[in-house]
Amino acid sequence: MNARASVAGSGSGSERLEIRLAGSGGQGLILGARILFEALSIEGRRASQSQNYEPTSRGGFCHSDVVVSEDVSDFPLVTGLDVLIALDQVGFDRSIGLIKPGAMVIVDQRVATPSDADWRLHRLPIGERAVASGNPRAANMVALGAFAALSGFFRETSLDEAIRRETPEKFAAANLSAARAGLRFGETVTA
Amino acid sequence: MTTATLSASAPGAQTSSATLTALHGNHACALAAIAAGCRFFAGYPITPSSEIAEHLSYELPKVGGTFVQMEDEIASIAAVAGASLGGLRAMTATSGPGFSLMQENIGYAAMTEIPLVIVDVMRGGPSTGMPTRPAQGDVMQARFGSHGDRPVVALAPASVQEIYEETIRAFDIAERLRTPVTVLYDQVIAHLLESVAVPAPGAVRVIPRKWANGASGPFRPYEAGDDGVPPMVRPGDGHRSHTTGLTHAETGFPTQTPAVVDRMMRRLLGKIDANRALVERFATRATDDADVLIVAYGITARAARRAVDVLRAEGVKAGLFRPITLWPFPEDALKRAASGAKSVLVPEMNAGQLVLEIERVLGGAAPVRRLNRIDGEPIVPHQIVAAVKEIFS
Repeated sequence: MNARASVAGSGSGSERLEIRLAGSGGQGLILGARILFEALSIEGRRASQSQNYEPTSRGGFCHSDVVVSEDVSDFPLVTGLDVLIALDQVGFDRSIGLIKPGAMVIVDQRVATPSDADWRLHRLPIGERAVASGNPRAANMVALGAFAALSGFFRETSLDEAIRRETPEKFAAANLSAARAGLRFGETVTA
Repeated sequence: MTTATLSASAPGAQTSSATLTALHGNHACALAAIAAGCRFFAGYPITPSSEIAEHLSYELPKVGGTFVQMEDEIASIAAVAGASLGGLRAMTATSGPGFSLMQENIGYAAMTEIPLVIVDVMRGGPSTGMPTRPAQGDVMQARFGSHGDRPVVALAPASVQEIYEETIRAFDIAERLRTPVTVLYDQVIAHLLESVAVPAPGAVRVIPRKWANGASGPFRPYEAGDDGVPPMVRPGDGHRSHTTGLTHAETGFPTQTPAVVDRMMRRLLGKIDANRALVERFATRATDDADVLIVAYGITARAARRAVDVLRAEGVKAGLFRPITLWPFPEDALKRAASGAKSVLVPEMNAGQLVLEIERVLGGAAPVRRLNRIDGEPIVPHQIVAAVKEIFS
């Protein structure tokens, strides 16, 4: 039962944590990272959030990163990922070189991953569960819910509050529902 | 580790009544301008600075301020100078190409002693270059972009928090020394989202402009007291003024009398030197026993800070000197930080600009090496670690 295992693996308790949401333009990766940043802020933690600053509204590799560090002058960009959340193959393939040994890797079940990697890999039906929750475009929220449940890194209530703050009212219910669908992955861990 | 804190030499805008707010760099710049009393913005949108104009177009009307989108950058800086002369705290924001167009009027503002703030969010150059990629290529443009000898102040924040603090400080310096001040930062921190301690409304101390008062009869608009900064004339209050970019005497009228020109020019340049304590800001980390001193600014300084920690953990005595004020360069502080260093490394996202000043200041006291990146990507910590190890190999 490793559902509540520490995010940073052997380096747990380390002051710096690097998290990436990766996929393709249009999947809501930047909003996802913004919500993650907000959830951490609610819990009183400092972070920096960045993304590639290019026109990637639809299609093409896109990523959005959150570096958690209490030191305000720490390097704010990723150097080695403690957590990768990849919604599709292009997001995974373009980030693979940055994954640290022992990192938590959450990917959609359609993503092909090497069999010999030294990560804590969770291959989950993220896209499928987004469809089932009623909004195929809410895979980003499902993934955040899955990350919260599998890592225990931030509370469900913080995620809910962050989603309410960061999404327009007419999408809030759908996003909350998708995040809950993701949180249920914590009950049925697939390694 | 010897010195674990990254201590700044001057206090920022942070106050006990501040609340943490998530802001992008350019948004923080716009809010700081409002807090510093800026009530006029004229600009022409350009990536990666456009969000400053965007936010000020919403925020300025709320406080009775004026936002104008001009036809180009030459008109923008001219409008800002005019608004400031008319009595308002004023600024513009741009990127390298627009900064180039503004240079003549920046010199005009320096010569006529008009306070104003220019924000230059640096992108890949030269020319149109790479609008969405970061660079630090405008360091020398900020120093020498306008012709002639003129007073220059340029500030280089390294985080969203510091963008907020340095934008406020830019207005303070501009107003108190009657000079243009440039805030220089790169695309990375412009678009970074970070938690910022935003002071409560009214908590930022705004020192009012020094206005001319007393008898208007014998008044000479460019006559300064001991601080080297003449009071400004509030338009319409009866004090005579004459504003010209021609070299002028204390009366404001043009002169070519050598003794007068010499006196006026030495005061113009000297007012910055006389107020270095107000202008200079820097930070150090682990410099006391450093064998190798890294000198870096902006986003590159944050990569260097990480590199220092990695190197120290491996037993390499590395330290960081981070100028927050680039111009005038904090010379004495650098000399102190470098006093025990066997080697100095200057990483920059350009082909080597601030390194020239560092070589000048250190005058051969320690060998100065360069690490330059000009491919549109930020310098990352492991590159600096590798460069330091190469020095010792």
